[in-house]
Amino acid sequence: MWYIWWLVRCQPWRVLRGSLIGTAWMLGLSVRPYLVARAIDDGLRVSDYRALLWWVAAILVAGVGLAYLGIMRHRTMTFVREDASARSAAVLLRQLSRIGAVLPRKLAAGEVATVGGADVTHTSAVLTMTGPGVGAVLAYAFVAVVLWSVSPLLALFVLLGVPATVVVVGPLLRRLERVESVYRHQQGVLTARAGDIVAGLRVLAGVGGRGLFARRYAARSQSLLTEGYRVGAVNSWIEALTIVIPGFFLAAVVWLAARMAAAGDITIGQMVAVYGYVAVLIVPVWFLLEGGYQVIRGRVAARRIVALLNLTPDDAAPPSGVGRAGVQPAPDCPAELHDPVTGLTVPAGRLLAVAADDPAEAIGLADRLGRFVASDVTWGGVPLAGVALDEVRARILVADHDSYLFGGTLREILRTRAGVGDADIRAALGTASAEDVVDALSDGLATPIGTRARSLSGGQRQRIRLARALLAEPDVLILIDPTSAVDAHTEARIAQRLRAARAGRTTIVLATSPLLLGCADTVAHLREGRIVGTGTHFELLEQDPSYRALVSRRSDSGDNQESVGMDGVLR
Amino acid sequence: MTGLPVADRSVVRRAALDLIARDRRAVAIVLVLHGAAAIAGLAAPWLLGRIVDEVAAGAGAAAVDRLALSIGVCVLAQGLLSRYAQYAGHRFGERAVARLREEFVSRTLDLPVSLVERAGTGELATRSSVDVTTVGTTVRDVVPVIVIASTQLSLLFGAIFLLHPLLGLVALIGLPSIFAVTRWYLRRARRAYLAEGAATAELTEALTTTAEGARTVEALRLGADRVAYGTQRIGQVWATRRATLALRSVFFPVVEASYALPIAAVLLIGGFFLPRGMVTLGEVVAAALYLQQAVDPLDRLLQWMEQAQRGLASFARVLGVGQKTEPENGSGPVTVAPAATGIPEPRGRASAPSGERLVVRGARFSYADGPDVLHGIDLEVHPGERLAIVGPSGAGKSTLARLLAGIDAPREGVVSLGGRPVTDLAPAERRRRIALVTQEHHVFIGSLRDNLAFAASGASDEQMRSALVAVGADWYTDLPDGLDTQLGDGARELAAADAQQLALARLVLADPHTLILDEATAALDPTTARRTERALAAVVTGRTVIAIAHRLNTAHDADRVAVLEDGRITELGSHDDLVRADGAYAALWHSWHG
Repeated sequence: MWYIWWLVRCQPWRVLRGSLIGTAWMLGLSVRPYLVARAIDDGLRVSDYRALLWWVAAILVAGVGLAYLGIMRHRTMTFVREDASARSAAVLLRQLSRIGAVLPRKLAAGEVATVGGADVTHTSAVLTMTGPGVGAVLAYAFVAVVLWSVSPLLALFVLLGVPATVVVVGPLLRRLERVESVYRHQQGVLTARAGDIVAGLRVLAGVGGRGLFARRYAARSQSLLTEGYRVGAVNSWIEALTIVIPGFFLAAVVWLAARMAAAGDITIGQMVAVYGYVAVLIVPVWFLLEGGYQVIRGRVAARRIVALLNLTPDDAAPPSGVGRAGVQPAPDCPAELHDPVTGLTVPAGRLLAVAADDPAEAIGLADRLGRFVASDVTWGGVPLAGVALDEVRARILVADHDSYLFGGTLREILRTRAGVGDADIRAALGTASAEDVVDALSDGLATPIGTRARSLSGGQRQRIRLARALLAEPDVLILIDPTSAVDAHTEARIAQRLRAARAGRTTIVLATSPLLLGCADTVAHLREGRIVGTGTHFELLEQDPSYRALVSRRSDSGDNQESVGMDGVLR
Repeated sequence: MTGLPVADRSVVRRAALDLIARDRRAVAIVLVLHGAAAIAGLAAPWLLGRIVDEVAAGAGAAAVDRLALSIGVCVLAQGLLSRYAQYAGHRFGERAVARLREEFVSRTLDLPVSLVERAGTGELATRSSVDVTTVGTTVRDVVPVIVIASTQLSLLFGAIFLLHPLLGLVALIGLPSIFAVTRWYLRRARRAYLAEGAATAELTEALTTTAEGARTVEALRLGADRVAYGTQRIGQVWATRRATLALRSVFFPVVEASYALPIAAVLLIGGFFLPRGMVTLGEVVAAALYLQQAVDPLDRLLQWMEQAQRGLASFARVLGVGQKTEPENGSGPVTVAPAATGIPEPRGRASAPSGERLVVRGARFSYADGPDVLHGIDLEVHPGERLAIVGPSGAGKSTLARLLAGIDAPREGVVSLGGRPVTDLAPAERRRRIALVTQEHHVFIGSLRDNLAFAASGASDEQMRSALVAVGADWYTDLPDGLDTQLGDGARELAAADAQQLALARLVLADPHTLILDEATAALDPTTARRTERALAAVVTGRTVIAIAHRLNTAHDADRVAVLEDGRITELGSHDDLVRADGAYAALWHSWHG
């Protein structure tokens, strides 16, 4: 609720204007029946042509005025809601951008879509109450006063009867909605099926089976149809009741008013006006009931937004690190990284390759060195956990094998920091041997590329990722399997150029490809959680049979060896 | 940005009429029932007019009681009639929606692969979810409201004519301005609401992709970039919403102001004719009340106009997907402008081929008016051999694979299987003989059995199990319900390697004689790749295999190796031959092998 209140507080004048106009509009609704009644009583019935002219003119003016109020109300409330939606989207956006790596663990992406879509809308809808909601209460009071002046008995009947009718019909409509929601859920399931077919379209193209999927979808669609018939049978009864109940009430009002008119207690004009007031009164009463439900729904939605906003990035500092000296300065020149878990020491300013028997261990190592998890890694002797996170992120980059590619032009994708010019981009693309990717695009660097760069091949995507990581120019670059999807020709080129491009800076490559390993200054062999050998690629090939088995991957020698402990890992 | 077309107005109109035409009887019943209900609803103001007249004439309580009771009876009749009208309308809506979504899915399934690849599945996914649902909601919820409101309106005005033709004429005074402004509005609204929908979708996408790529955002410190990008999207949403609001700002007030016009006119004319005895006071009052009553259906019509616009826009997007190729049930085909559909997937004409020999002769190929990426390929694949195609990225390896699989046709030259051009084979026939395996794999929502069955209809459980075992997917025995275990959509996600094994098991079941492997394991991490390669080994035995490889050990194991460079085959021969020849392949092999 505080969140909704905050959304109101952000735009007090607009909300106030909404309330004023909303009130005026609702009151305006009751003006026309009154004017029509006066035109009948004072003009038509007594054949007073002048009076009739005046009242008719008043009806026209009131009509224009009401139209003006109506649109101003709609405009103001639309702005109020849109302002709230935009504000919610903005805070969500900032939060999502800030929270970082822990997010996928805490929240599914689908959840974000729901919060960012429906929940934002529902929350904003609550603000509608601030304008017309206030107006509804005032309008009700106003009509009450007018009715009382006609006849207290009729006033009581109408003033209590309208809310009573609405309260009876309201739950019926809720019920309608509930029945609908079951149906809609099933519809959602069917929609998911269609989406599933779309996602698997290329697979179906390769293997076949389109006919089967079409038939299966049609069968599900037909069963939803039967369900829909059932829903329709119930719904139509409920909808009929929502016509009959207010209809009976109105008939009762007419009957009562007509008897009073027949007895001479009220005039015929007043009788017609009472009939009109009932219609007018329904608007604010409905509004309040609807608003009540909107508030309930909006509160749930707002709570979900707030829950997302309350997520905090958990800084991966070790528990012991909290009490220690706090933030420590990072080494300001290239410095050694050391991982006590595996015993790996990364020499500063060199190209180190780590060949891991188990890819999961390689990823764990990268997470520790890049401080994505708590660890006792030291950097130039300083505990990495003690260095300001922002500085770690600025200087150590872990380039994941499947790091995310956002949509945008190729230039936008590659320009991850200010000061990167086209020349830098060309150079990095050259290092990543990705010039051909750009050449193949219709507008070169200015070609828009969709989210996840699905239009590119796996190898092209990988090289774009590599170029992006190189352009970040971190002091320490940790590359996880940077060439697993490219052909041997290209891999050989990348290995050579990477070495030159990163000369003098620390680079760690986690890979098992001999082409990459052969270019590294040093290779470390990670096996069963420890570094078991260090040396050049060729030294290790000579001395370490298990290393040879790992990297050469000759189907005869490698298979048996690696199948021993490997199968369980990937489950 | 999108490669998928949107149907134009005339197509949408024809499709809508088509929906009605196919269920003509139901539509007629719905209209008649709603009409009857609306007539019953009109009785109340008319009876009120009668009451006014009787009371003015000095009638007593008994007459009032009788008339009030008739109002009650009319209300009851209205309720019952509208119940059955609603029900019939609901059934019609359900049928129409079911037909629409089924046709959408079947059209989607018929889309040529090349078009799907160009347009991307994202756009198609939006249409299959958001747009199909929106159309459904429109047909089920919005159309009935519009039908009811229009029926009520025409009856209300008809009733005023019946009261007195003169009053009826006067009552129409507000309509010209309403018609004019509605025309003005509808002309602009479609595009404005399309833009609004697109902007909203982009904002949602900005939020979800930021969440999906959260780790990358943190690692590369893209936070500020993402905020800037998203803020731009928020601005765009705001702008498009303002645009639609501007349209409503003209539309709503003109219509609302028009409501007062006929009421005023009827009273005025009534005042003129009443003393001359041409109309009664009751008639004028009833007419004024009818007009007041017309405000409600008109308002509803207006309110839902916006929704109807959204529905119409979505309808256009739904119809834009693909071309309905085979008209069903004798109805006319719904066609889309030819430019919209792109190149259709080659359809089969030829009979079954008489052999398994794949031959490529002088094949050249270019993507959509681009430069040639293949320059005269000649290649003969012997039945049962294992051929590896290696070469640098962008050399045209994948393109060649697509030609071999018959997904694309060469611009020049021919690719034939058993003497017949592969693209002449019906897609289903072709897939039974040649399968293309790419990095892409997809686990469909459904049971494990469903996920296997589509590759070979009629496969027994036993065959499925042995196919799974053959590719090393022994993990299936750990599943709680065996072949009936539900997969996908949050039920149970398979790891990449398992999903790839599942894809391979499908191949075992489909049993094509020729397999084209386009870097089938490239997107997997090395260990997973190794597992998958072992599974592959089980699949390929006894078949012709064309493997596009970036790992040279694959080439080493092949019978022959083709080196593809710049769209030309530069070397072709066994591994040993090529190494001996000491060309590009040999150089690479040495550097790889160390």
